Amino acid sequence: MYSRDYRDIVSGGVLTVFGAWFAWYAITHYGRGTMTNVGDGLFPAALGTILAFLGLAIVLAGLRREGSKFGFRFREPVFVILGVAGFALTIGSFGLVPAIVVLTVLASLADLNVRPLGLAALCLVLCLLVYLIFVVGLKLAIPIAAWPHWE
Amino acid sequence: MSVLSNIALGLSVATSYSNLLYCFLGVMVGMLSGVIPGIGPLTAISVLFPLTFYLPPTTAVIMLAGIWYGAGYGGRIAAILLNIPGTPIHAVMCLDGFPLANQGRAGVALLLTTTAAFVGGSIGITLLMLFGPIVADFALRFGAPEYFALMLFGLIIASTISEGSAIKALAMVVLGVMFGCVGIDIYTGTPRFTFGIADNPISLIALAMGIYGVAQVIVSINAMDPTGINMMAVTGTTKPTAEDLRRSALPTLRGAALGAFFGILPGAGTLIASFLSYATEKRLAKEPQRFGKGAVEGIVAPESADNAAEMTGFIPTLTLGIPSSPSMVLMAGALIIQGITPGPALMNQHPDIFWGVVMSFWIGNVILVILNVPFIGIWIRILMIPYRFLYPTVLVFICIGTYITNYTSFDVWTVVFFGVLGYLMMVFRFPAAPALLGFVLGPEMEDFFRRTMLLGNGDVLIFFQRPISCFFMVLVFAMVPLIIWSVVRESRQAAVRHALH
Repeated sequence: MYSRDYRDIVSGGVLTVFGAWFAWYAITHYGRGTMTNVGDGLFPAALGTILAFLGLAIVLAGLRREGSKFGFRFREPVFVILGVAGFALTIGSFGLVPAIVVLTVLASLADLNVRPLGLAALCLVLCLLVYLIFVVGLKLAIPIAAWPHWE
Repeated sequence: MSVLSNIALGLSVATSYSNLLYCFLGVMVGMLSGVIPGIGPLTAISVLFPLTFYLPPTTAVIMLAGIWYGAGYGGRIAAILLNIPGTPIHAVMCLDGFPLANQGRAGVALLLTTTAAFVGGSIGITLLMLFGPIVADFALRFGAPEYFALMLFGLIIASTISEGSAIKALAMVVLGVMFGCVGIDIYTGTPRFTFGIADNPISLIALAMGIYGVAQVIVSINAMDPTGINMMAVTGTTKPTAEDLRRSALPTLRGAALGAFFGILPGAGTLIASFLSYATEKRLAKEPQRFGKGAVEGIVAPESADNAAEMTGFIPTLTLGIPSSPSMVLMAGALIIQGITPGPALMNQHPDIFWGVVMSFWIGNVILVILNVPFIGIWIRILMIPYRFLYPTVLVFICIGTYITNYTSFDVWTVVFFGVLGYLMMVFRFPAAPALLGFVLGPEMEDFFRRTMLLGNGDVLIFFQRPISCFFMVLVFAMVPLIIWSVVRESRQAAVRHALH
């Protein structure tokens, strides 16, 4: 236990800063307009301001009470996110099969019991499944595998 | 048109060969997404969403809706057998479901909850059929001020009845509306908050997949162990005793009533309904100490509430055009892409869509009962597949589903961004559903606000001069002290609640 709820103090603080920045950016970059003809900056500016105050309220409430310990897990989020990012990087230039393999291998590393043979089998099954559903079944125009060509 | 001819029209649409097929596909996928922890109906709907581009609008909604209520049936299996909720809605099911399984009565628990789900669902569909047309008729009178006031009211309600802190949920609503601002402003053509990266608005699918799908997968990895399932307990005794039936009857009906009410309200309607119905049964019980040790009331009431809420949630979505949950957002989106706007006009202009979809719910619920009673063993086998094979599969479908909506890897990067955000929101205990509702309703609210201002010559009082919008605005202002009070109460009680977590 912490004497203060740091979970809320940190997150509320981040929201306050983000809201204030959002409002400031809207005011300085977009038009306010008139009340009859509302401009493109008024709504975002109002939203940013509201979020900043809500964030502040979360911080204040967090200061007044005790909070439980909290922490991040690293293995699971990092490998899952890396996997999705790997897919985003490869799908456009290398095609479906390389992207699926990159995603499956990276994401599987998040599991504590990952084994090479099972992983290889999973890659194979997933490529086949996706090929059957999306390429054969739905006839989508995604290249299965391609040599990179960057424009 | 009379009710009977509407029902006949709906049945003729729903029983067409292709609609039956996609209804079956929908509830199968929905069951699957419910059974496997870490995938909810929203992820499954997002994955199958691109398929709807190739389907007629009615068929598209029949399939997506099938996923939505199918997951309601599926999520209880993991809760009862593994003490892990298949979807967050089923968290409360673990409390008495898992003890029942430990007593070797898993089969009874599964059968009773299937019955409760069917009863709750049937009551929900009946109410949808009765009240849908009435609400749509009433809403024909709505103009821009009414819609703005109603959406504002909806978003405030969504944050107050969301799980956890009301103020955090409200902050997420606002954050969602802010993400909705990104893109080209429809009045002036200014690209807002795009920073020259891409002028398109943020993809709804990518945002939903990130905040919900990826984040759910991350927290489910290394967290479940299916080796504990005792197959004998499931296939052994499945016959409920007379005592079980007597105890289940009233809680099932009470759950359905609570669920039907909360389902209409936007936000976490289904979640709140299932939690509240559990609490209600515990309070009403003669021996509340039985709860938590395998009380059948504690599993049938939430299951019935959940399924009733899933059905009545279609009332605001189809008749007002205001989606009541993130999954409903995607169903409304599937119609909009096909050029059909869900709202009061839908029932008059496309009665075949409304009644066809509603009648398909009856068919879907019957299919689900069949899938859950004789074929329950198949789902348990699926649950026993190690999660290390399941979650990469889910991620592959998430990525491909996102990619093929626009064929751009930018959308997949959006998933990465919102996946990180979604995980952080879970760590810091911010609910995701309000953010998604805000994201969808936000741009519409801004549009309605600006139209109202044009209409009223810049006078904000116009919201109070029209009776219907005035009614909702008064409700909104009445909620403000309620929220402030709940924040004060939270800061006092939080220490106690955090200790329980």
